[in-house]
Amino acid sequence: MSNAADIVAQHEPELRKFGQTLPEDLQVAATALEGRLSADDLERWAEAGVRLARRSLRSWEAAAEYFRAAPSVAERLSASELLDWGESAAALADRSSLVASAYLRATPGVLRSLPPAQVEPWARLGDRLCRGSWKSIALATSFYQESPELLESLTLHQLGRLVDIIEALAERSYEMATRCFETAAPVLAPLSPADREPFIEFAWVLTRASWADTRIYFERAPALLAPIDPPERAGLLELAAQVTASVGRSGFPLFAAAADALRSIGRGEHPRLLGFAHRLAQTSPMAAMEYLKSAPVVHERLTAEQMARWSDAGLEILVDQGNVEGAEAFFRLESARAERLLTQLSARVELTAVSPILRLYAKALTAQTVAVHPVEDLAEKGIGWVAGQATTEGTAIYLPSAVSTFPEQRDNVQVYKVFATHQTGRIEFGSFGYRHGAPGAHTPLPGLPAAVPDPGPAVEERPAEERTGPLTEMQRLYDGFPDRSLISALFTVVEDTRVDACTAREYVGIRRWLRRVQEQAVAERPDARSMPLRSAYVEALLRASLGRPDGIEWPLRHRGVLRQGLAALRVAEQPGATVQDSASVAAALYRLAASLPNERLGGDGQWVAPDEETLAVAPAMPGGETADGAPQPSADAEAFESPPQPEFRGDFKPELVQLLMRLREGAGEGDGDGRGTPLTAEQLQELLENSTEILISEMAEGDLASTVSLFLTNLERETSLPSGGEGAPVRERAGDDAGEEEEPPEDQPTVPEVEYFQYDEWDFRAGDYRPRWCTVGQRPYEEGEIDFYEQTLVRYHGLVAETRRQFELMRPEAFRKIKRLEDGEEIDLDQATEFFVDKRAGAAPLARFYYRRNKVERDVAVSFLLDMSASTDEEIDKQRKKYDEDDDFDGDPAKYFQWLAQRRSLRAADPPKRIVDLEKESAVLLVEALEAIGDAYGIYGFSGYGRENVEFYVVKDLDEPFGDRVRRRIAKIEPVRSTRMGPAIRHATHKLILHEAKVRILVLVSDGRPQDHGYGRDRTEKDYAVHDTKQALIEARRAGVTPFLITVDKDGHDYLKQMCDDIGYEVVADIEQLPRRLTTLYRVLAGD
Amino acid sequence: MTITHEGPSHTAIGDGFRRLPVEEFRLTSEPYYLPIRNEVVLFEHAYRENIPVLLKGPTGSGKTRFVEYMSWRLHDRTPEGSVEEGVPLITVACHEDLTASDLVGRYLIEGSETRWIDGPITRAVRVGAICYLDEIVEARKDTTVLIHPLTDYRRLLPVEKRGELLAAADGFLLVLSYNPGYQSALKDLKHSTRQRFIAIEFDYPSRDQETEIVRVEAGCSDAIAAELAKLGEKVRNLKEHGLAEGVSTRLLVYAGKLIARGISPRSACQTAVVWALTDDVEIQRSIEEVVSSIFPE
Repeated sequence: MSNAADIVAQHEPELRKFGQTLPEDLQVAATALEGRLSADDLERWAEAGVRLARRSLRSWEAAAEYFRAAPSVAERLSASELLDWGESAAALADRSSLVASAYLRATPGVLRSLPPAQVEPWARLGDRLCRGSWKSIALATSFYQESPELLESLTLHQLGRLVDIIEALAERSYEMATRCFETAAPVLAPLSPADREPFIEFAWVLTRASWADTRIYFERAPALLAPIDPPERAGLLELAAQVTASVGRSGFPLFAAAADALRSIGRGEHPRLLGFAHRLAQTSPMAAMEYLKSAPVVHERLTAEQMARWSDAGLEILVDQGNVEGAEAFFRLESARAERLLTQLSARVELTAVSPILRLYAKALTAQTVAVHPVEDLAEKGIGWVAGQATTEGTAIYLPSAVSTFPEQRDNVQVYKVFATHQTGRIEFGSFGYRHGAPGAHTPLPGLPAAVPDPGPAVEERPAEERTGPLTEMQRLYDGFPDRSLISALFTVVEDTRVDACTAREYVGIRRWLRRVQEQAVAERPDARSMPLRSAYVEALLRASLGRPDGIEWPLRHRGVLRQGLAALRVAEQPGATVQDSASVAAALYRLAASLPNERLGGDGQWVAPDEETLAVAPAMPGGETADGAPQPSADAEAFESPPQPEFRGDFKPELVQLLMRLREGAGEGDGDGRGTPLTAEQLQELLENSTEILISEMAEGDLASTVSLFLTNLERETSLPSGGEGAPVRERAGDDAGEEEEPPEDQPTVPEVEYFQYDEWDFRAGDYRPRWCTVGQRPYEEGEIDFYEQTLVRYHGLVAETRRQFELMRPEAFRKIKRLEDGEEIDLDQATEFFVDKRAGAAPLARFYYRRNKVERDVAVSFLLDMSASTDEEIDKQRKKYDEDDDFDGDPAKYFQWLAQRRSLRAADPPKRIVDLEKESAVLLVEALEAIGDAYGIYGFSGYGRENVEFYVVKDLDEPFGDRVRRRIAKIEPVRSTRMGPAIRHATHKLILHEAKVRILVLVSDGRPQDHGYGRDRTEKDYAVHDTKQALIEARRAGVTPFLITVDKDGHDYLKQMCDDIGYEVVADIEQLPRRLTTLYRVLAGD
Repeated sequence: MTITHEGPSHTAIGDGFRRLPVEEFRLTSEPYYLPIRNEVVLFEHAYRENIPVLLKGPTGSGKTRFVEYMSWRLHDRTPEGSVEEGVPLITVACHEDLTASDLVGRYLIEGSETRWIDGPITRAVRVGAICYLDEIVEARKDTTVLIHPLTDYRRLLPVEKRGELLAAADGFLLVLSYNPGYQSALKDLKHSTRQRFIAIEFDYPSRDQETEIVRVEAGCSDAIAAELAKLGEKVRNLKEHGLAEGVSTRLLVYAGKLIARGISPRSACQTAVVWALTDDVEIQRSIEEVVSSIFPE
């Protein structure tokens, strides 16, 4: 009998009680171990298993695992280690037999990765997780379960780190800890070994900084890391850990944003970007992250070399100047310096940078007001333009929002100019002025049926009048041809040719750039050989029209058609050619194209470049019979498809533009000749169905009827608004454009027109401006009741009279005598007498006996900027009332009630005065006084919430005449929201500068310190707001405006001193003095 | 303005230097003027009928040149008039400090005497000259009133300080010019003044006419003149859109002269048009773009 059999026999009865299978498990294991272990050891080993089984109710399961795992474990462990293994299992079983089972079961797998000596430390890791609760047991169990897989990719040390993380998480939420642990293995396994350590380290930092982000990190990190250049991933993770250690909670979002940003840049750039980020991180990890986040924007605009120069500038701010905040703002692209440098370095030209110039340029060329918009604006209009192509709709030109064709910024500006010149050329040279039936300069009546021998079967047999009738002249032209897309494509080529020819003739200076852009366009032309024949024909004409007829490839067989086509095209290039000529030429070309079968010849076509003779063809309209063959029906062949337009020519939609023009005319006046009659739905529907310019399917889903109505709505909106942006700094308009001079009738409620302006904001930490940070919406203020104004005049009649008188004293004497002049209009008798006396007396007389009357003109413009923040709602006499309330009632409730009733009635009759009421009253007094003196003055209010929403109310504009409207607006002044002073001051300054005056004054009346959402790091911080306000005041002074601050905040002195530096300010201590003080102050400020 | 007589009051001709009393200034050769509409005929008839003339129009549109041309053209009106010499022309550039005595005359103290000095308008009245008050709105309002009696049938100039009343000599005509472009409420002509004149409106010439003017005046080629006229037309489109006034024909002529002297068209236009017209950088750039579209490098 072997040892094994003895042992089994010895323990079988007992084991059988714990579990039916235990003796068998023991037997298998003992038999396997018999050769490896000494009899003693075997005995001890078996004893340990039995003890394990005895420990608790379910510990027999652990024992079973113990027996089952033992043979494979024993292969790696020495006898003593094997026994230790059993000991640690026993210790675990004390906590939970489940954990022990998991441990025992996992050991063979773990031993594939770990040396025997590390089994013990590994076991302790799991032990740490066991805290007695069932959740902790589950966690520990899953730790052991996952261990074999995890250890395949991790070292024991790394696993230990992971346990640190899990342990920390478990203190917060077992659920999250378990979830993280479960995702760890599949996340870590695919990582390269070098990345695992930093991955876990970052997770550890993250857990400590913001534990809730750990799970998201585990879930999202693989996807975030995947696009990163593999050797750089570790670097990014290290950087992220470094950043998180210093910034805490925002660590993960920053990491995610940075990884996202890197994704949009090619992997090749990653080493450079991350390398630089690491350099930044030495001083400011935050700056490094901001740098990575901004990288895509910068990268898109700059070459690698330029980008290096840009980032070096930021590094200089960070390291050499030691301005961490400044560098962070720089890399966040929230600093004017960063943006300026970006623009300087970049060859790319943004439309926003050139649009004011192009707008004036277009105005100069066309003598019309032409707005300039980015093409993106077009699609939103929903009136048929879909693609992002340059185009014009008759009153505005649409250009790409950025151009980076050439490596030099200068050159790209020229490209813009070519774009703009071509689009304005369509307006200037009358592309939209086609009138059906009018003759051209070089051609007979265009587009008439004579030019189209056979319009094809059954298409347009009915005379035009019988149908609902074409809406536009263009429509009438197109209606004459069976294939509308073909005639439209041909007309486009011909008309663009004509416009380019006119441009080159009229504007010799731009010729060179037109050529360059045309060359560029030629280089991008698609291969004609793969096109159906008619498309290839249009393509051939297009290349000729771009000045490269030699680049044409055309089947030898159809050479005649090409030659005739080129000759016809040249007719449109002749001086004096009009749009009528273009239509004739297009009609002739249509006939030629229609003679071609629209089939793909491909390689069989014998495609050749045109010969000398063809290239030298003289302009001529094709004769009647010379076409190569009879018109081919297009029915059986492919439908015609137009080749793409060159970028600078873009979309050409004469039909739609004529429709818009007609609608605009109609909107302007209901004239008698029927042109202004409203469109019928049928007419529009027909236009939509037929037009090749408006692709309904691309416009909207849904049935035709609803599309038509949508289209009509959009058109109406389009034509009711004359487009044409006037430009102040950066200014957009919303609501109705003030295209018409006349004011809307007063009784008609109108949507207040809001004009938007953008201003920089001063970030004192960065020492730089945040470009275009605040948006100021300027709107006329609402009107209230007129009574308030009158009542105030009545209430303060004494004061009003007094201020008026004082102000009238300031009115300059019309002519003041200036005496003692050497030359002047009149001789001053006194001086002359003195002169002669001196002369007779032998003294050297001064020959200054002239005087002249000098006209002194008063030339003052003043703006009052009233704080309308919510805090002006505060009552003024709150304090004073307190004393009143201390009235002695002698404990007599009757007296008290009497007093209370009295007070109530008083309050009802005369509600307590608020700060804003005083501002209003001051406004009334000032208006009265200023009207007396005749200075230009404006009254504005401001409030708002957040930087995007600074509200600027016009109570009275500088050049607005005073009247009932202003009186009513003053009455309406009410507290609104916050106080963001900087942008309000900047806007008021801007308005003052536009007003011509010798003396410009800006008086800011406020109740307290500047405060707004996001105006500083948090709501309590005031430094940022104070600094920005100060900066705005300094800007005002630099611009020649005298700023002055008046506040009623009694605690105002401290920050006012800081804010105003040497700028005048006054704290009006006794608030009721405000009206009086304001008027006195004004005299001082504006006085000479 | 003080005018002192020093030495003989006759014409002294030296090396390119000529000093003569204002009333003796006549044009001795025909100035170039291209009639745009019927202004020449109108003026001639007005002159014969002693109707004062108001010339309105933007700066550089030829008002001053027109007066010079007319003064030469009307040479047959004075007894001593000849083809060589036109009617005397006295031009006063008005400014805001121009006073009545500046126009009429004043006493000067000389030694222990006072001596009366005639002002330009008095001189014109005496000799029967065309008196041209340029940019009249610039003058003080009290000044403009004194011309009233001169402008109606009376044709009298009261000289208050001397207690005299001067009747205008034959051939005297008052011509005013003003530029309605930059008029403001302050600088507008009083109606009582305004309604004493017939008005001739000047505007920029058409492109063809301007081409001709630029060609003759600047002595440049026809092609250059045509391009300059085109530039003028385009730039004038910008009026009210940043530019207070369009580019004057005078500036185009200057540009043409520079080009004729060999300056490249682009830099000639830069100095004579772009920089001359405006200080606004954005508008400058817009005009530069128009220039560079018209003239090749």
